[in-house]
Amino acid sequence: MMNRSLSATRFIASPIASVLDFHRRKTALSYALLLPAALTVLLLIVYPLYQIFDISFREGKSMNFARIGQQPFGLDNYRRVLTDPAFWRSTWVSAVYVGGTVFVSFLIGLATSLLLNRDLPGTRLLRTLVLLPWAVPGVIVAIMFLWVMDGSYGVFNSILRDFGWHGGDINWFVDRRTALGTVMLPAIWKTYPLITLTLLAALQSIPKELYEAAEIDGATSVQKFFFITWPGIMGPALLVVMISALGTFRDVDIIFATTNGGPAGATQTLALYVYNEAFQYFRMGTATAVGTMMVAIAFLGTAIMAGMAGKSKF
Amino acid sequence: MTKAKLANLAGLLVMIAFVVITLFPFYWMVMTAIMPTSAILSRAPSLLPDLSRISFTAFVSVFTKSPFLSWMLSSLIVGGASTILSLVVSTLAGYSLSRWNSKPQQALGAALLISKLIPSSLILIPLFIIYSTAGLIDSYLGLVLAHMTIGVPLATWLMKGFFDRIPRELEQAATIDGASQIQALWLVVLPLVKPGLAASTVYLMLTSWSEFIFGRTLITEPTRQVLTVGMQSFVGEQMVDWQLLMAAGTISIVPAIIVFVFLEPFLVSGMTKGALAGT
Repeated sequence: MMNRSLSATRFIASPIASVLDFHRRKTALSYALLLPAALTVLLLIVYPLYQIFDISFREGKSMNFARIGQQPFGLDNYRRVLTDPAFWRSTWVSAVYVGGTVFVSFLIGLATSLLLNRDLPGTRLLRTLVLLPWAVPGVIVAIMFLWVMDGSYGVFNSILRDFGWHGGDINWFVDRRTALGTVMLPAIWKTYPLITLTLLAALQSIPKELYEAAEIDGATSVQKFFFITWPGIMGPALLVVMISALGTFRDVDIIFATTNGGPAGATQTLALYVYNEAFQYFRMGTATAVGTMMVAIAFLGTAIMAGMAGKSKF
Repeated sequence: MTKAKLANLAGLLVMIAFVVITLFPFYWMVMTAIMPTSAILSRAPSLLPDLSRISFTAFVSVFTKSPFLSWMLSSLIVGGASTILSLVVSTLAGYSLSRWNSKPQQALGAALLISKLIPSSLILIPLFIIYSTAGLIDSYLGLVLAHMTIGVPLATWLMKGFFDRIPRELEQAATIDGASQIQALWLVVLPLVKPGLAASTVYLMLTSWSEFIFGRTLITEPTRQVLTVGMQSFVGEQMVDWQLLMAAGTISIVPAIIVFVFLEPFLVSGMTKGALAGT
């Protein structure tokens, strides 16, 4: 009798015990699942990041990469970079490039998402076409624009002439006055689809009842936008602006393939400055010093934006 | 009612005008590839195609006059391998991040976020130094590993988002029925995140296919280069053969566009989720 009830309890208890045990036993599994990613991150991200930091404090030039770690320790690279006019010009170029690209992309993203949200006929096809540029590799985007905006045979100049422009052929990517504005075109082309998509998702999550109630109260469409739509998309908008800004700040593909920083550094962003210092002049010290500052800037910018996004939720 | 209809019509027209303008560079690329050079390299090229003069010879020349095929092959090898590796690593890690939140998970999550702050041109410096000493320059393996520095953070957050939507009770129920935890993951959870796996795969492939600066720096041998690097090398030449370049550009975009058009609905949920969750 005793025995039977005991075995009955055990029969019932064992699955319950295993569920309760779930958490403890699962921790071993949770670590095991994490292991490949942890190894990847340690070997390919954390250790390289430590090396970047280390090299940025190593003074003197060394062509032997294996020996960079044996150079004397000091702030020489930072001193050199901070007194280099090219660095400050690149900082300015980066600010204009990121600010301009993200600002225009955001306006385009906002306009297209509002239009796509209105369920016009053919929205499905239009949405695909609007988002399409996202799938095209940056280098190919760059080459496409290089050709359209070409000084001698570019179709853009030809269209300008058709519209009665007689200012002569502008070599958009080569002219010092137009180069920075022109490299933003392919960057905007590649950046706005993600903004459209994010804002569209945010718009679709705003309850329709809010608009109906506002309509009953006699709100104008401008009022509806500022009191319902804008608060509803503000959080995702800040996030996607942050992501786009980070992406543009880090990207080198488009500028490398169009102007490679020229003419005379007019389009050399910080990311490209890092690349050229390292792989054109082999000055790994100054390159990593600039890079370290870039990561710091990106971190600060992200933290500020994340703070703003966090606040906007309440 | 008619006012609303008019507004919709106006909206539609604006939208169509926008699409025509934004997709024009793409249209012009195809035009340059299929029209005779004399019609395109002119002071006033016709914007509409002359149907009687369309020719596809440039598409053939791409393969005969340049190492295009081997570039494409390189891109496929590197893209395939880095996608599979990143997907396996990220699916496991994404599951762990979704279900547990102790110290190791938090540390990995933080490291994955920080990786999004590092410019490719910067992480390239230590990778280049390590590869130089390890003999990984010019090897596909080296480039695959480099692509994983982008792919793993991206796909881990994406997969975590998809796992988050699967209720934990499913695995608990499966273990009550006698399944081991690994069986529960393999037989119960994974089949439910198939859309997530599909979105991640496409995402990883497109990212690898588009990647340029790693490929350009870590592979120096001309015939082993990836497609984007090969394409860019055309531009550096003294006399750019625009027709050839545009034909090559068209071919290299086609796979990405086909994938995009067919999987767009999949990507739409994944793109916002992955991008937003990732920061």
